[in-house]
Amino acid sequence: MSSPVLRPRAEVAPLLIAMVLAVFLLFVGGAAHIVILSLLLSYILDPVATMLESRGMSRTLATIIIVLGLGSLLVLGSVVLVPAVFEHLKTLQSGSTTAQAASAIADMELFARDKLAFLGLGDINLGERIGEMRQAIGERAIAFLLSDAVSLLINAVTIPFMMFFFIKDGREMKKRMVSMVPNRYFEFTLDLLSKMDMQLGNYLRGQFLDAVIFGAMSIVALWILGVNYFVFLGVFAGLANLIPYVGAIAGVVPAALVAVLGSGNLSSAIPVLIAYAILKMLDDFVVQPFAVASSVHMHPVLVLIAIIVGGELFGILGMLLAVPVAGFLKVVLQEGVSTYRKYRFS
Amino acid sequence: MTDFRARVFGYKRASHTGTDAYAVLEKIPIFQDLSRRELASIERILHRREYVPDEVIIRQDEPGLGMYIIESGKAAVLSEPDKVRLSDLADGDFFGEVSLLAETPRSATVAATTHCRVLGFFQSDLFSLIERDPRLGVKIVVRVAKIIGDRLRKANQQLLTVSDELRRARQQTEPS
Repeated sequence: MSSPVLRPRAEVAPLLIAMVLAVFLLFVGGAAHIVILSLLLSYILDPVATMLESRGMSRTLATIIIVLGLGSLLVLGSVVLVPAVFEHLKTLQSGSTTAQAASAIADMELFARDKLAFLGLGDINLGERIGEMRQAIGERAIAFLLSDAVSLLINAVTIPFMMFFFIKDGREMKKRMVSMVPNRYFEFTLDLLSKMDMQLGNYLRGQFLDAVIFGAMSIVALWILGVNYFVFLGVFAGLANLIPYVGAIAGVVPAALVAVLGSGNLSSAIPVLIAYAILKMLDDFVVQPFAVASSVHMHPVLVLIAIIVGGELFGILGMLLAVPVAGFLKVVLQEGVSTYRKYRFS
Repeated sequence: MTDFRARVFGYKRASHTGTDAYAVLEKIPIFQDLSRRELASIERILHRREYVPDEVIIRQDEPGLGMYIIESGKAAVLSEPDKVRLSDLADGDFFGEVSLLAETPRSATVAATTHCRVLGFFQSDLFSLIERDPRLGVKIVVRVAKIIGDRLRKANQQLLTVSDELRRARQQTEPS
């Protein structure tokens, strides 16, 4: 069965229309974050499917095993974590403060009055402010969970479903996309895709592995230090670690606050800060050199812009996805330009 | 049911478009003596392209990413910049196999002289095949290496012959 040969101009038009349509649907349909997350997860887990295939399994069976494994982890996590999350949110929403927390807040107020009065913090009413904030956060979180329960459920089904097809048929999808490229740009496209695949694969998988290891180390450290909610705080620190520069601070601040409010003593933040400093050093000097094979260097300003734009578009999830997506765009642009130069397009 | 089982548990049937390609692939030294299952694995990663007369398939000095097999039609190997015709290619001929192992610049331009259907087999796909089916991947790599080795031996022989002839010609022209 032979298809008629299309002239380059005729071939480019449908490709462009499809691309514009895809971008339009993605952003207008509000499904962009689902697609991006599914794509990232499939990309990260693709080598697992390849490894299972190399042991004689079919791609389909390998994909089923991966999706079922991930699904089981999610279900297990939900069964264990969801009741605990609701319990904590209820406490937050009530705005009530434990005796230790009240004492810690009083200490902080005293510190602010004594040392930071020159900043206009002399008459700060920290207890009241924290109470209001906690109540607002609790109310918002519960409202979010209840109002978005349906969309969360839809995401929980859609993401694994999309992931399944991206992992199973990813190669075929890529081949079909490449088949639409005009002959003159065919090898250039293949060259670009394979170079991007090498760079991005190492970068994204490395970042993911680093986040998992950092999260696990944080959970263990906070558990040893007896900090409440150590699982959430550890998971949050692992995810925050995906964001360069700001991630480390974003991870340590909530842990230190919870430690202070839990013990009622300002000095209990010190072991947490020391633990995170050690963890960060371990991460920088031991974990990252092994886990992250190639890093995509990005200027701090670029990272901040990416985080702000990601946050504006898709909230917290957008902030987390912003850096990998910006890294992806940077690699596309860099490799695109360097590969383009090797071809004699006129 | 059989199709479902085959898809889930590993054995995959040949695609409808693949049958024509098998006949061509079986004639290529790199793919000779491969089983049907192995040929099916290869066929799935090949890129089928079509070229009109005078359309360039590969360009001299551009990066070489892999080999092409002519499924049907004719093509010419040309040396740039004068487009000197070095040889002609027809159904079942292949070119660019060295690029499967090393990304070297193309040594000549190949352009279609008639309507041409070609199958492209690229380095990135070969490396990905090695990862998921190492036995088949190694078979292919060994055969490509053998072809390149044979070609190197022939080139060495030709070089020896040419240098012998050159030496003799020099001896004859030197004043005694």
